[in-house]
Amino acid sequence: MFLHYIDLGWRSLRRTPLVSFLMVLAIALGIGITMTSLSVYHMMSMDPIEHKSSRLFHPQLQTMDDGEETWSEDNLPYQLTYQDAKNLADAPYPEHKAAMLRTGFTLHMDNSEIRPFIQNTRVTHSDFFTLFDLSFIYGSAWTQEQADAASPVAVISEQLNQKLFGGENSVGRQIYLDDTSFRIVGVIAPWQTHMKFYDVNNGAFNSQEDLYIPFSLIAAMDINTWGNSNGWKFQNIRSMKDKRQSEIFWLQFWVQLDDEAAVSQYGDYLMSYMAEQQKFGRFNREQLEYGLRDVNAWLDYRNVVSEDNEVLVALSFMFLAVCLANILGLLLAKFMRRAPEVGVRRALGASKRQVFLQHIIEVSMLGLIGGLMGIGIAQLGLWGVRLTQEYYSPLATMDLTMLLSAPVIAISACVIAGLYPAWLVCRTTPATYLKTQ
Amino acid sequence: MLEIKPIINALRRSKVGAILLLIQIAITTAIVSNAAFIIQDRMTYLQQETGYPEQDIFSITVMTYGKDRDLSQQFEEDEALLRNLPGVVDAALSNAVPLSGSGSASGMGLKPAPEPGRNVRAGYLFGDAHMLNTLGVELREGRNFAPDEVIVTQDPGKVPNVAIASSTFVEEAYPDGDGLGKLMYMGDKPFKIIGIVDKMKGPWLKDDRPDNVVIFPYIKAETYQHIIIRTEPGQRAAVMQAVEDKLLAAYDKRVFTNVITLDENKRQYNASDTLMLRMLMVLIVVLVAITALGIFGLTLFNISKRTRQIGTRRALGARKSDIIRYFLVENTLICSGGLMIGCTAAVFMGQQLLQRFSLPALELQYVAGTAIMVLVMTLVAVIFPARRAAQISPSVATRSI
Amino acid sequence: MLIMKNVSKVYQTEMVQTHALRDFDLEVKEGEFIAVTGPSGSGKTTFLNIAGMLEPYTSGEYMLDDVNVGKLSDNQRADLRNQKIGFIFQGFNLIPDLNLYENVEVPLRYRGIKAAERKKRIESCLEQVGLGSRAKHLPQQLSGGQQQRVAIARALAGEPRFLLADEPTGNLDSLMARQVMELLEQINRDGATIVMVTHDPELARRAPRNIQIVDGQVADLTLYQGVAGQTDRQVVGG
Repeated sequence: MFLHYIDLGWRSLRRTPLVSFLMVLAIALGIGITMTSLSVYHMMSMDPIEHKSSRLFHPQLQTMDDGEETWSEDNLPYQLTYQDAKNLADAPYPEHKAAMLRTGFTLHMDNSEIRPFIQNTRVTHSDFFTLFDLSFIYGSAWTQEQADAASPVAVISEQLNQKLFGGENSVGRQIYLDDTSFRIVGVIAPWQTHMKFYDVNNGAFNSQEDLYIPFSLIAAMDINTWGNSNGWKFQNIRSMKDKRQSEIFWLQFWVQLDDEAAVSQYGDYLMSYMAEQQKFGRFNREQLEYGLRDVNAWLDYRNVVSEDNEVLVALSFMFLAVCLANILGLLLAKFMRRAPEVGVRRALGASKRQVFLQHIIEVSMLGLIGGLMGIGIAQLGLWGVRLTQEYYSPLATMDLTMLLSAPVIAISACVIAGLYPAWLVCRTTPATYLKTQ
Repeated sequence: MLEIKPIINALRRSKVGAILLLIQIAITTAIVSNAAFIIQDRMTYLQQETGYPEQDIFSITVMTYGKDRDLSQQFEEDEALLRNLPGVVDAALSNAVPLSGSGSASGMGLKPAPEPGRNVRAGYLFGDAHMLNTLGVELREGRNFAPDEVIVTQDPGKVPNVAIASSTFVEEAYPDGDGLGKLMYMGDKPFKIIGIVDKMKGPWLKDDRPDNVVIFPYIKAETYQHIIIRTEPGQRAAVMQAVEDKLLAAYDKRVFTNVITLDENKRQYNASDTLMLRMLMVLIVVLVAITALGIFGLTLFNISKRTRQIGTRRALGARKSDIIRYFLVENTLICSGGLMIGCTAAVFMGQQLLQRFSLPALELQYVAGTAIMVLVMTLVAVIFPARRAAQISPSVATRSI
Repeated sequence: MLIMKNVSKVYQTEMVQTHALRDFDLEVKEGEFIAVTGPSGSGKTTFLNIAGMLEPYTSGEYMLDDVNVGKLSDNQRADLRNQKIGFIFQGFNLIPDLNLYENVEVPLRYRGIKAAERKKRIESCLEQVGLGSRAKHLPQQLSGGQQQRVAIARALAGEPRFLLADEPTGNLDSLMARQVMELLEQINRDGATIVMVTHDPELARRAPRNIQIVDGQVADLTLYQGVAGQTDRQVVGG
């Protein structure tokens, strides 16, 4: 019977090609526009590390004096000072934690084959790879000894390995960062996410760094950040050493806390750390304050999903509603015109349910066709998005979820629009339409 | 005579159709007025004057890894080389490029730190006496840097003691209009304002003080550096092509990247606004088209349903114009209902957007304008089917179907 | 097989109550061929619609094959209609998008009969009405008489025991009308019970039993065989 209804629906659509075309067009446009903004929204709001996002936390410390203000909504600084990041990272608790910052070097091979280029670099602790579940294709992270000795060692991405060494096992090979020779100790597999969730300061959707070096090099090589530095009080800073000892915020810090108990225990630890620091004249505050957000709360707090996009998603759904009202009107007209035929079917033994089903299946087909066309329109829209804003390129695509959602949303929308007309048409008394034709 | 009462009765009998139209018109009005307002807001933002001849300026980023040369001296030579290139008007080393979305800003104190006093936020640039000419901006008051005021150094202890500032900054810092010659402080370092530039924008157009800019006569050559270059009109593309090779030929232990024009820099910084603008425009156009089509279709359907009734009316002496007027009045009735709901919804939506997002408050003339536009659109969408209805022959009334 | 007792049907509009049937009594026995006549608006079609369970009735009792129709749900009525009743309309009421084969197929599909069995029955029914060769034609490609024969084939396809015909010859010329009537008589001889509403006194006279509906009530003309012709003339005149 189901196939028969599909056949009937198809005939019905073909019988009134103009109306069918208008309806399909309305759905396709509605879905196309909704899916364009929704796809970008979906990619922006996607959990970047699903299996672990609730166990990774970014601590924040309120180091500012009472009365000082920063930009965040709860007035907590987004980043940490070097001294706090270092102290917390050196603390025995919790097991996995990494402080980090973004910098850059001129990377060259001391030969003429590869032209020197500028390489974005992440300076961090070796736990970074454990925290964010990065797997190694070759080698491993640097050892604690290498970190303690501030050895010039580096982990590179598979992509960079491809570029520099043609993809072969490069562990033990040398590269030059500015004029310092570094030894490669590991090559990591590509990230599983498009989002640079661990450092959203300069664009959460820029690509991840391809080069990682030990945190201890910040002091050893006087490395400065290529990201944001924010200060809140006047301090005379003449050197990198001054900056490391200052109250300037310029580092990110992540910890892994496996359960509620660990979270509250770490909270207590942060409080006692701040109280301890007060002895050195820091944290001049009535009330000690800290922040501890997991990945998704953090991304939400940092407004990773652009406001414009949220507005667009809301507007597109309203737009879809207009398209539906439109379709509802057209369906009503179309179905009511078919009432005599329904009368005959009812007289020949069709139950209300069967008539209802027949019409719902017809509108579902409309939805399916419109949804598929909508995917086409959304691809066009996403192409326009990529063209307008390159930065959105990794976001302006439809993943499988979105590709499947398009027809599902289209069909559900159409069924919702079709419910009333289908109910109306199956409810009519069959006798009314039989006498005259 | 307008036959409003019978029309209302007829509408009450075919409620669903009328309600559907009403909903469409209401949502359309709400969306279009808010979207149009956002578009207008972004247009103003995107088309603002920056004070720079953007189409003649480009910048290049240099990262030096060789340690065998004195950077300050190397950059002096580079500047000289660039300034002598054919087609180049001027060139200047800088710590940041205006409009690029990357740079430095600080609160400029009216009192030396740590004395308490008012701070005025400003983006700042480091550059020599060529900076003004390179950026293509002119002094309104005061003078440019003298050669001996420019500090070229690697020693963080040596700083200049004068500055040139944008008029917006000076007016905010010294509202009495006597900013020229006054001292301001970055930390505890004093700077005398020796020149005021009419208009220039800082690194971030979306800063809350985008027009506050200060230039210091300071060249602290670093391994990571920007060079800003202004060319003769029309010469930019050619100069951009040649410049990297020329600089590399002068010294090759460095990497040049990001050879980018000022307008492109601005475009990239503003890409999300352009995107929003385009998306909203598409949305509005398609939405209006869909609504118009919906009204068109529904009127056609209503007419085909009422063919006989219209024929009867014609047979009873209604003129063609009466039939057209009937449909126009009917449409206007539905439309004004929809517009009333739509305008309320638009204002409500504007408030929601204002509360949830950092969007400015909706101006009411956008709602009014949209309402008028929607009304005209619905009338246009109705007139064609109504004229068709007027062509219905009175004889259909007497013919049995 | 059909018993109606005190069946009434009242149409309620905003202002007026119209009694289409009032205290209607009728018994139809298995294998009968009944012609129903009566003036316009007397309630003939209402009677047929109620007999076919297309319309609910306001009061009274209607038993079809010992089943109380008033107690059935809409779905049960649809099933019963599908299994026992065949309809033939004045306007044929063929579905314009479906070809002859598919039109005849409609009731069989609702009964959930397998495709092979459907094919056999459809072909035999179309053969029976003399249209076996035109199964792929669309209704609008046929003459009125042919269309009505398709409609009869469709009514027969479900092998109904009870055939309801509403002015089956109303839109046909007399030659075609006679052919259709002969077909109905053949069907009746094969065992089906037929109730036929008609205006045509000649056709009515060919039916073994005639009833007349006047003002929503039944007058069984078989009781006055002698004056039947006279009454018919009155009806036609009125």
